[in-house]
Amino acid sequence: MIQAKNIDFYYDDFHALKGISMEMAANTVTAFIGPSGCGKSTFLRLFNRMNDLIPGTRLTGECLVEEKDIYTRGVNVDELRKQVGMVFQKPNPFPKSIFENVAYGLRVNGVDDRKFIEQRVKESLVGAALWDEVKDKLKKSAFELSGGQQQRLCIARALAIKPSVLLMDEPASALDPISTSKIEELIHELKKEYTIVIVTHNMQQAARVSDKTGFFMLGELVEFSDTKKMFLNPDKEQTQNYITGRFG
Amino acid sequence: MLTLSGAVTTVTILLIVVFLFREGLGLFRSPAVEKGYALCVNAANPVVRLNPGQIKQIFDYEIVNWTELGGTDRAIELFRFDDIFSRYSEEELGAENDYDQLPDKLGEVVAASPGIIAFLPEEYLPHHLEGIRILRNEHITAGDFFGGREWIPTATPAPQYGTLPLLLGTLWVSIVAILIALPLGLSVAIYLSELANERTRKLLKPAIELLAGIPSVVYGFFGLVVLVPLVQKAFGLPVGETGFTGSVILAIMALPTIITVAEDAMRNTPRAMREASLALGATHWQTIYKVIVPYAKSGISAAVVLGIGRAIGETMAVLMVTGNAAVIPKTLFAPLRTIPATIAAELGEAPSGGAHYQALFMLGCILFLITLVINITAEAISKRQHNKGL
Amino acid sequence: MSKHTNQRIAFWIFRILGLIVVGILLWILGFIIWNGFGVINWEFLTEAPADGMTGGGIFPAIVGTCCLILGSMIVAFPIGVMSAIYTTEYAGNGRVVRFIRIMTDNLGGIPSIIFGLFGMSLFVNTFGWGDSILAGSFTLGLLVLPLVIRTTEEALKAIPDSFRTGSFALGATKLQTIRRVVLPMAFPNIVTGLILSIGRVSGETAPILFTVAAYFLPKLPTSIFDQVMALPYHLYVIATSGTDLEAARPIAYGTALVLIIIVLIMNILASVLRRYFGKKVKTN
Repeated sequence: MIQAKNIDFYYDDFHALKGISMEMAANTVTAFIGPSGCGKSTFLRLFNRMNDLIPGTRLTGECLVEEKDIYTRGVNVDELRKQVGMVFQKPNPFPKSIFENVAYGLRVNGVDDRKFIEQRVKESLVGAALWDEVKDKLKKSAFELSGGQQQRLCIARALAIKPSVLLMDEPASALDPISTSKIEELIHELKKEYTIVIVTHNMQQAARVSDKTGFFMLGELVEFSDTKKMFLNPDKEQTQNYITGRFG
Repeated sequence: MLTLSGAVTTVTILLIVVFLFREGLGLFRSPAVEKGYALCVNAANPVVRLNPGQIKQIFDYEIVNWTELGGTDRAIELFRFDDIFSRYSEEELGAENDYDQLPDKLGEVVAASPGIIAFLPEEYLPHHLEGIRILRNEHITAGDFFGGREWIPTATPAPQYGTLPLLLGTLWVSIVAILIALPLGLSVAIYLSELANERTRKLLKPAIELLAGIPSVVYGFFGLVVLVPLVQKAFGLPVGETGFTGSVILAIMALPTIITVAEDAMRNTPRAMREASLALGATHWQTIYKVIVPYAKSGISAAVVLGIGRAIGETMAVLMVTGNAAVIPKTLFAPLRTIPATIAAELGEAPSGGAHYQALFMLGCILFLITLVINITAEAISKRQHNKGL
Repeated sequence: MSKHTNQRIAFWIFRILGLIVVGILLWILGFIIWNGFGVINWEFLTEAPADGMTGGGIFPAIVGTCCLILGSMIVAFPIGVMSAIYTTEYAGNGRVVRFIRIMTDNLGGIPSIIFGLFGMSLFVNTFGWGDSILAGSFTLGLLVLPLVIRTTEEALKAIPDSFRTGSFALGATKLQTIRRVVLPMAFPNIVTGLILSIGRVSGETAPILFTVAAYFLPKLPTSIFDQVMALPYHLYVIATSGTDLEAARPIAYGTALVLIIIVLIMNILASVLRRYFGKKVKTN
């Protein structure tokens, strides 16, 4: 479970997120939609503290993952990131073999047991619906895979360290329709074990994969409710306008 | 006009190749024995050819018996032109008549002693070849040049143009320099690109780039007045001008290049790679050595290869601090000499068109080929990086 | 050992190594500046060497280096700029250009001593110019040619294509476009390349050893067929082979400092120009 309480976030002087509170339950898929620059990706990246990498950012409010405030002093950021996996907009495999890509998270977290790593790599690739396609070429470079395969490899890489939360930042935006539908199917499967948060600019995608949807605009959370309700009968006019494509 | 100007670098390279090799290859048409001189032996002596190394060893008393040269078992008797004056009086040699008796007397001496080898000026060579044989003046061969273990252009009767000591000296100094510079340069690059804050970086980067522009002769001067005494004291050596000193100064000179290129390569690692690694719970340090450095590997290797190329071609700084002894280096803590330093030090004294002059140009050819190979390698490495991104 | 301890240790090592290296580099600069600072005064810069080069100044060497800078730029600059215009504006992106680029890079990678050999063989001996400003300028000019070409190419490539198409759309020919639009816009960056080349030329020793440099020549050159003294060679001479090395040390420090100052001024000038140019493009 993830909670955000009264979040304000600044890039230097720019007020990027304004007073956001919401709760994402375990084993659900939550989608964030909204026009470019509305703050949805920034908000997503708060939960594994990826925004720490950008100099000049400032945060007030509370972020809780599994009931623990992740921004208090003494929080181990690497441990947090183990618990909260992330899949990025563009597939970004390392220039290593397929196997080593998936094993990376285990290795950096101090796992040396070869049997264990092999087992976990297989599980993760199976979990990411990629195993059958790559089982014979695990030693090949990850760059030899297609874009869609690379993205599923990145998902497998994130699964390998057994996170409880999976953050996905427009995971299908760089992919063709067939690869996209594979990723969407996969999200359905993964929901059984993970809490998933997905940012997307594609409203049909949000409607297809998510249980709940949040609509962001200009740094504010305009509306947050069940996906079905959001798409059929939104409370706010802004939401209605965006969903029906009148702007954004 | 424009098209012509586009070809200017190509033409320059071609001209360099033509002129370098035209002068350099002339060496292999030069006689092994000093110009204007010849070697004579007794007609009974079966040895017909001697290479420059053998000639030098004979006249240095290192080879004392003809068996060592494939001849009969007989002690070698050296005879230099001046020796004739101790055997015959001035009158006997016809001093009044332009020494007209000299050639015959020389002939008698050589014919009389079966183990003799005589080093004589061509103008006084015996007219009657009875009982004597003039050794054919062989050309210097590629084997003598590339395989020769001694570089003594002033040796008589046969100057020694063996490049082995110079080539090894060059490689030794350059490779050790890179071994020193690489870890240091890489550390600074990591420090600058990953650890230093923006203000420190903005201050240090131009300073380091400035250091890349300082003339090599200034580095050489610094090496001479600071490093040479330092090395001498630190290692308790008889002289501070050693190969190691050269390596250190070359390493210092290579640092700015290595730092700049490696830093650029690391900063060019896509943010996505960095984020992916951190998102998997890797620490910053793990991300650096497992992702960023491997990603920047070809950029870094290109920097290293270019650094070696620079070091191999560097002239003035090395000339000023390595002591310039043309011996095959057994240790780095002794004076040695590199190819560029040899050219710089000796070309001024080598008469234009002579064998020495040609040998120096041949050294230039070797240097040219080495750097060409290195440049092409560096090019290939950085091209590989471009393809990797796809 | 936890991965965090590892990280802390590794980062401290890098910080320390970084400081050491930067320290060494600053030490070299500081050492020359410290020892040379007291030597430089008006007399040092305007008088000829005296007392077997243990006294007096370095005026002839300064003049000689200036002659070589001027000469080599006259050789390299026009042809280098033309070559860059050809490769970026005319030749497209085919095999020819790639070949030319490789050749330019390779020329840039040839050690400077090779240029010395080449200059001696071609200009000094074959053309019969002797040791002269002319021979030295051509040798140094060819040496910096790749640098001039590369910086000019970059300057030209930095001009967005929209300016070219805009000019073509108004009916300008290619030559007019280059002359009236592209070159004026790229000019500051081309000059930056020129300045960097001057910095390079002023410090090169090996190429002038056998083509122009004189050991000791107090009189100033009167024609391009004269030999001259030059700063880097002068430093080499008084540092390694003089009548009294110890007595010549202050002069050597002073000469080294003058060389560093030249490089420093050129670098600062270049970066100022670059910044000025950067601003200008933004306002466009």
